Amino acid sequence: MSLIYNKKTNQENNHESNTKPPTTMEERQRQRFVDKATKVSAKYLRRLEELNGAPETMQPFFKVLKDIYVDMKNVEKPADTKIVGTYCVMVPDELIYAVGAQPVKLCSGSYTAFAIGDDLVPRDACPLIKAVMGFQAMEVMPIYDDCALMVVPITCDCKKKMVGMLKERVPTYSLHVPTAKSDDTDMEQYVQELYQLIPELEKVTGQTISYQSLAKSIDQMGFAQYQMSKFNTYKKHVPALIKGTHAMALMNAFSYMPVEQWSQQLHLLNQELARRKKDKHYVSKDKQPRIMVTGSPIIFPNIKIPLLIEETGGILVGDETCMGERSLYDPTVVVDQSFDGLMRSLANRYTRPCTCPTFVDNSQRIYRIKQMIADHQVQGVVYHVLRGCLVYDFEYQTLEDELGKLGVPVIRVESDYNEEDIEQLRIRIEAFIELIKLKDLALRPKKPEIAG
Amino acid sequence: MTVNHQKNKPASSYESEYMDTLRTLFNENSQIEAIRYFLNTTYLYFKQEKMVRRKPEVIVMGTSIPEELIYAAGAKPFWILGGSLGTVAWSDDLVPRDTDPVSRSMLGFLLNDHFDLGAEALIIVPITCDSSRKMAYLLSAAGKKVVTVDIPPEKSDPLAGLKWRGQMELLAEKLTDHTGRRLSKKNLVQATQLVETARKLMRDFIQVCRQKEGLISGALRMAVLNSYYYTADLKGWCGHLRKLNLELLANRQVISAAEQSKPKILLMGSPVVLPNYKIPFLIGDIGLQIGATLDSSIQKIYASSTQHKASKRDPFTAIIESHYRYDCSAAYAQNEMFYQSACWHLEQGGIEGVVFHVLKGQIEYDFELERFEQLFGQEAIPVFRLETDYQYQDVEQLRIRMEAFMEMLAHHRYREEKRAV
Repeated sequence: MSLIYNKKTNQENNHESNTKPPTTMEERQRQRFVDKATKVSAKYLRRLEELNGAPETMQPFFKVLKDIYVDMKNVEKPADTKIVGTYCVMVPDELIYAVGAQPVKLCSGSYTAFAIGDDLVPRDACPLIKAVMGFQAMEVMPIYDDCALMVVPITCDCKKKMVGMLKERVPTYSLHVPTAKSDDTDMEQYVQELYQLIPELEKVTGQTISYQSLAKSIDQMGFAQYQMSKFNTYKKHVPALIKGTHAMALMNAFSYMPVEQWSQQLHLLNQELARRKKDKHYVSKDKQPRIMVTGSPIIFPNIKIPLLIEETGGILVGDETCMGERSLYDPTVVVDQSFDGLMRSLANRYTRPCTCPTFVDNSQRIYRIKQMIADHQVQGVVYHVLRGCLVYDFEYQTLEDELGKLGVPVIRVESDYNEEDIEQLRIRIEAFIELIKLKDLALRPKKPEIAG
Repeated sequence: MTVNHQKNKPASSYESEYMDTLRTLFNENSQIEAIRYFLNTTYLYFKQEKMVRRKPEVIVMGTSIPEELIYAAGAKPFWILGGSLGTVAWSDDLVPRDTDPVSRSMLGFLLNDHFDLGAEALIIVPITCDSSRKMAYLLSAAGKKVVTVDIPPEKSDPLAGLKWRGQMELLAEKLTDHTGRRLSKKNLVQATQLVETARKLMRDFIQVCRQKEGLISGALRMAVLNSYYYTADLKGWCGHLRKLNLELLANRQVISAAEQSKPKILLMGSPVVLPNYKIPFLIGDIGLQIGATLDSSIQKIYASSTQHKASKRDPFTAIIESHYRYDCSAAYAQNEMFYQSACWHLEQGGIEGVVFHVLKGQIEYDFELERFEQLFGQEAIPVFRLETDYQYQDVEQLRIRMEAFMEMLAHHRYREEKRAV
């Protein structure tokens, strides 16, 4: 449990590693950690880039992932801009931008940090928490170390307990997410929660939220959502215009980019996809099984599931995860043009359409998945369960029953943050894709036999 | 979803489990006449024939709801606390593999082929953990009338009290709608008096057991306190507990020195609920003594709303605030009340070791462990983490580990005595 070392900046680390070898055991251990973490991230980034069909305009997204995970740099932001770390999808980025800070989503997928976190939190905690606590303890990632405040929505048992642990180390604010969202009282409570968050955010930067600053940030996020909705229409195209793994990478990059920069880049990507559509430049074949992934979040560098799907002959056309499309669903709809109206719109936008299993009644998620299956012409669903992520596991059975009625095959893959299960997963996913191909073949109208 | 699955295990394993536990408790402590009532109360609660006929008006899952509100609404709370391996088997098809046994057992009580407790009941589900939030959905999807209570997870949050009040007001409204009886001031005061009498007697009982150390086993002490949740007649139960306290005080039985000198441990963590008493029995079997227990249900005994400043003027506020303050369930980000209670036990002294009980899947307790290791470590009191579920296959393995722990305590004691000499 004594993994809290003296804090050093990454520049100092890199400088040290270039000039003289680390001396103490702790330094050597930290250096090994950095080497291993960057190596794994570089490997997955390479696999991402090598996956054929990546649009040219994807490069800036790849660069961001490289900056954060391989070069261990901080997010690109104007000097003196404070970073506010967030988790899950219930923290309104708009409020953070409105106080002049930069939101960074800190949910992590690092295998190396997971291994460190394994010693810090109970064995059965989910790997995401272990990875976060691992980075927190090693103090080598600027995005964690430079956070002026962490805002953690209490969405599951692990996040709830993580708040307690983080509070002992860094300034942390917990956001109580109501367990229901249908009643006005639930919404009223979340509005109060957001109002209570404002002074905490204002303390970070010393700036106060004004109507103008909030409206501006809502507009900025609205533009990102608009670009995202355009991107989604391209994703629905048959045959596919972009690989799903690449789409997930750009969604992951959203966590570490200023929203304007990200939206601008997505705008360029959308233009490229429009050209591809016109030129009939596709990345999949007509009959390639169209797969959707849902369940526990898939966070870089833990992108083994989407990579396996696309490496074994499937095409990932949709992702209903909180690191994917769920984080940029419907835009904020402002009905009442007052400050309170803006706050209420935010509370609505961050809870009502949200399909997180933290809500007691989450049947909305089933409808959402069904809708996505229809929109994206999905032929099979991969249900991803991170070991220890009980809330998603609970919802699997209902989904399986519902998709069974639709005749859409679904496979539950349980995984952890390590590479040991990759071959086993590959066999299962390969078999699943073969099954879909066979099913497709059986459904296809037979050609009349030619006599003689 | 197969709520009434045909392959549900026969009821016999359910019946045999509680019967075995009650028999063991009786055989160990048969010299005390007054305990029969409490064992019988537990027997009648679990008896399957009774379960089939039973139509409770209000069901409460776990202990995180102030029962005064239910009494004030004119109903008797029917508690479902889990604890049964038989009902765990009944809910096997409904929940994921890693679900904790308490939630599995609770769900098994409500969704099975053998009895339908929730047919006419309002089921109150406090959202204390992931399983409870998903369980609430499963129950409502199965057509049950469910009301959830969202417990504010941060007691230090300035809005926590308001949120809790809001939740309690909603619950009161639902209770009133269901029972047709208003939660008037008079009803609340009467309910407070009833519950407070029971709590006072339970506190006395703990005190008497401390005085008459070794007279009754730790397991029986827990069973008597547990039976509070199984009685249908709280007034009668109080009368019998008063009688038991007096009988224990008057008991002149000579307690052997060996019995008195057993190393005393504090059993804390995941609540131990009847009929699954393998841990208390194991502790007793190997020659350790349960000096005290600390879990969410025991801590509730100390939530005295009559001592609240608003008890006379506004009994509703007094009830809900005292309850929230003393609640130490798994619902909180930092379970301060749980920690303070452990500090209190430490101050009281007499504890030589701590058995930290973690039921598989109840991860919140595991997160708290480190803090308690540090706390007890300051006084050189060893903490033994014991992870298990409701299965009985691991008993021998646990016995070996527990025996090693006991040897460590004995060695520790010997070293202390030597140092004193």
